[in-house]
Amino acid sequence: MLSNDFTKTAFLTRFSLRKNWLKLTVWTIAMAGMFTAIAAKFTSIYGTQAAIDSVMETLRSPAMTALFGKMPSGVSSSADIFAAEMTVFMAIMAVVMNYSIVIKNLRGEEEIGITEIIRAHAVGKLSLLGATLIEAVILNLGIGLLYALGLTFADLSGTDLNGNFLLGLGLGFAGLMFASIAALISQIVDNSRNSTILSYVVFGIMYVARMSTDISDPKLTWWIPFGWVEKFSTYKDNNWTPVLSMIIFTIIAFALAFFINSKRDVNAGLIATKPGRKHASVFLNGTFSLFLKLHKTSIIVWTIGLLILGFTYGSIFSDIGDIIKTNPTLEQMLGKSAIHAANVAIIKQFISMLMIIFAVLSLIPGMQIIHYLKTGENKGYLEMIHAKPVGRTKLYLNSIIIATVTTLLVLAATLYGLYLGGVYSMKDPIALKTFIKAYVAYISPVLIMLGITAAIIGTVPKLSSINYLYLTAALIIQYFGKLLKFPDWPEKLTPFGYIAQVPVKNADTATIVWQLAIAAVLFGIGYIGYIRRDLK
Amino acid sequence: MTTPILHIEHLQKNFGKFQALKDVTFDVDPGEVFGFIGPNGAGKSTTIRILLGILKASSGSATIFGKDVFKDAVSIHKRIAYVPGDVYLWPNLSGGEIIDLFLKLSGDKHTEKTDQLIERFQLDPTKKARTYSKGNRQKVALIAAFSTEADFYIFDEPTSGLDPLNEEYFQKSVAELKKQGKAVLLSCHILSEVEKMCDRIGIIRDGQIVETGTLAEMRHLTRTVITFKTIESTPELASLNGVHNVENQPNGRQTFSVDTEHMAEVIDYLAQRQIVELQSTPPTLEDLFMRYYDTSEENLVEGK
Repeated sequence: MLSNDFTKTAFLTRFSLRKNWLKLTVWTIAMAGMFTAIAAKFTSIYGTQAAIDSVMETLRSPAMTALFGKMPSGVSSSADIFAAEMTVFMAIMAVVMNYSIVIKNLRGEEEIGITEIIRAHAVGKLSLLGATLIEAVILNLGIGLLYALGLTFADLSGTDLNGNFLLGLGLGFAGLMFASIAALISQIVDNSRNSTILSYVVFGIMYVARMSTDISDPKLTWWIPFGWVEKFSTYKDNNWTPVLSMIIFTIIAFALAFFINSKRDVNAGLIATKPGRKHASVFLNGTFSLFLKLHKTSIIVWTIGLLILGFTYGSIFSDIGDIIKTNPTLEQMLGKSAIHAANVAIIKQFISMLMIIFAVLSLIPGMQIIHYLKTGENKGYLEMIHAKPVGRTKLYLNSIIIATVTTLLVLAATLYGLYLGGVYSMKDPIALKTFIKAYVAYISPVLIMLGITAAIIGTVPKLSSINYLYLTAALIIQYFGKLLKFPDWPEKLTPFGYIAQVPVKNADTATIVWQLAIAAVLFGIGYIGYIRRDLK
Repeated sequence: MTTPILHIEHLQKNFGKFQALKDVTFDVDPGEVFGFIGPNGAGKSTTIRILLGILKASSGSATIFGKDVFKDAVSIHKRIAYVPGDVYLWPNLSGGEIIDLFLKLSGDKHTEKTDQLIERFQLDPTKKARTYSKGNRQKVALIAAFSTEADFYIFDEPTSGLDPLNEEYFQKSVAELKKQGKAVLLSCHILSEVEKMCDRIGIIRDGQIVETGTLAEMRHLTRTVITFKTIESTPELASLNGVHNVENQPNGRQTFSVDTEHMAEVIDYLAQRQIVELQSTPPTLEDLFMRYYDTSEENLVEGK
C-alpha cells in the first residue's frame, strides 16, 4: 500500500528537476557564488589582527547581534567573523528560495490543474509531494555542499574542514527545514497565496523571536528553529547538535505533510475556503476598489508585520545606546548630557543601517502591486476588465497610486514601530522627528525603484524579474557594502547610494528634487509604454 | 442601407515574424447574429482581442459604432459586452461580487433581470470563484454580459463548459438580444449552435476569412447526401456529373452525395428507375466546415 502511494516518484522528481532547472540553477549559482566570493574576499579585508579586533567590537554590540545573531565569545579569526556575519543572512535567503520553489511546486501546480492531470495517471497519491521532497533535498544539500567546498577553496585563516562542512551543510539543512514548513503549510491552506502569506508569518515570528532572545538571553534561542543556525559555533566548538535538531524537525514536518496529503482531496486543504458575499458591497465599485480589495490582505500583513519588526528593533535601543555598560567611568568623565548625546549618536547610526532593510522590505508589496498589471494579465484576470469602459490610463494610475501609497505606508509603519519600540525601552526616547527625517530622505529613492518597476512593466513586461534582482542587488550593496569594504562605485548603481546617511546626517534637498524628477520620468515612460503596447 | 455596427477591413496582426492575421474583412449589422468559425489557432481570438483594444492591429482597420477599436476603446466599451472563452475570475471574490463589479464597471446596476439570469443559469453567487468549475465561471461572465445594457455583444466560445440545459438558456438569451435589435458576434465551435442561431457566418482559416455569407448562400458550395431505393438498378449513377461516393447499403439501399447544382438531373435519372424510398440530408455546416478545415490532400482535390 505504501509503495503504491509513491509510484513514479523518481520519474516525477526527474520531471520536476527538468521543469525547474533554470530556477534551480540560477538560485544555486547565485547562492553558492555569493557565499564563496564573499568568503574569498574576507581573506583580504580582515588580513590583520587589528582589523579583526575592530570589527569584532562592532559585531558584539547589541545592534549587530540583532541583525546578524549572537557572536560566540572568544573568537578571533577572519573565519569567525565570516561565520558570524553570513550565517543568518544566508539562512534568510534559503528561506526565500525554498518557500518560492516548494509552494509553487505544490499549491501552485494544484491551483492551475496540473496536479489533477498528473494524479489521473498511474502515479501514487503521495508521489508529487515525495518528488518535491527529493527535489528540496537535492537542491539544499547540493548548495550546502557547494558552500562547504567553497569555504575550503577560499581557505580563510582559522577555518577547518569540520567547520566548513558544518556551516555549509548546516545552512543546507536549515533550507530543507523551511522547505518542510512550506510543504506542511501547503497541505493545510487550500491556495498558494495564503500558503505563502502563512509561511512568511511563521518565518517572521521566528525571526523576531530569535532577535529578542539573542539580546535578552541567547540560551532561549534554542527554542526557536530559525535560531538553530546561530548555534553551530562554527570553527570554535563545531557543534552538530543544531543540524540534528533541523533533521528531526524536517522529518516530523514532512511526515505530517504526507499524512495530511494522504487524507485530503486534491484542491482542498485543512482550512477550507469560506463562502463569500452574494452581492458586491457599495465599496467595490470600480478598478481602484477592486485592486484595493485584491491587495488588501497583503497590505495589512506587510504593514502589521513590519510595524512589529520595527518595534522589535526599537526595543533594543536601550541596550545599543548604553555605552556606560561597557565603560562605567565614562559617566563621571563626560557628564550625563554628553553620555546621552553619545548614546543617541550610536542609535542613529544603527537606524541608518536599518533604513535600507526597511526600504527594501516595504518596496516588495508595492512592486508586487505594479507587477499585478502583468501577472493579472497573464493569468487572464484582467481580460474582462479590458473589455469594460475602463481605460488603460486608469488601470495604470490605479496601480501606481496604490503601489506608492502601500510602500510609503509600510515604510512609515516600520519607522513608527521603531519609534514606539524606543519609547517602550528607553528612559529618554529618541524623538519622533528623527524618524521623520529618515523617512523623508528615503521617499525619493523608493519612488525611483517603483518608477523603474513601472517602466519595465509598461514597456517590456517579459523582463519583470529584473525588478526583484535589482532590489536584491541594492540590498546587498548597501547592507554589506561597508562590512565587505566594497569600492565606492557599486553604491552608485542604485538610488539609495546617493542619499545622505540619515538620520545621522540631514537629508539633502537637491538630491530629493532630482530623484523625484527621475521617478516622475520613469513613471511617465511606463505610462506611455503601457497605453501603447499589446496586452495579452 | 444600414451602417454596420462592426466594420473590419483587411485587418492584419503580426507577432514578431509570425503572421497571426493575414487578411480579415467582415461586417456585423444591427439585429444580426454573426457566426465566426474556424479551427483552433486560425485567428478568432486574436481578431476579437483586436476588437476589444487589447491588441493593436499591425495594419488594416476595425471600427465599432464607427469608432476606432484601439483609440476609442473606452467609449466603445460603454456599449459592448464580452464573454471570453476562458473565463478567469479572482479566486478570493465570490461570483455575486464579480457580477456586480462587472455591471458597475459598465455603468449598469444589479437589476431584477440579473437575479432572473442567476436563477436561470442556476449559479450559486455566494461561492468564491476559486471553487467554481469552468462552466460556473462562464456562467458568471454570461450573467454579467446578458444583464449589461449593450448594443453589441461579443462571445468567444462561450458555451464550451456549459451543460446542454444551460447551453439552451444561452441560445434563448441570444435570441432575445436579436429580437431587441442588438448585434452579436459569436465565435463558436459547436456547429449545430451556429446553424441554429446565426444569420450569417464568416469562416476564418490561417488568419484569412475564406468565406462569408448566410448559411443558405453557402449551401450551394456543398453537397447533399441522398439515400434511396429503386426497383430498377442504377448502374450509370456513379458516372453522372456531380455524383460522388456511391455506396451500397443493407436492404438494397444506396447512398451517394451530389453537388447542389447537379441535383435536378440526378433526381430525374432516379425517378425514371422507379423510386421506392428517397431520403435527402441537406448539407450541414459540418460539411462546409470540413471542406475548409480539412487540408488533407484527398479533400483538397475532391473539394477543390
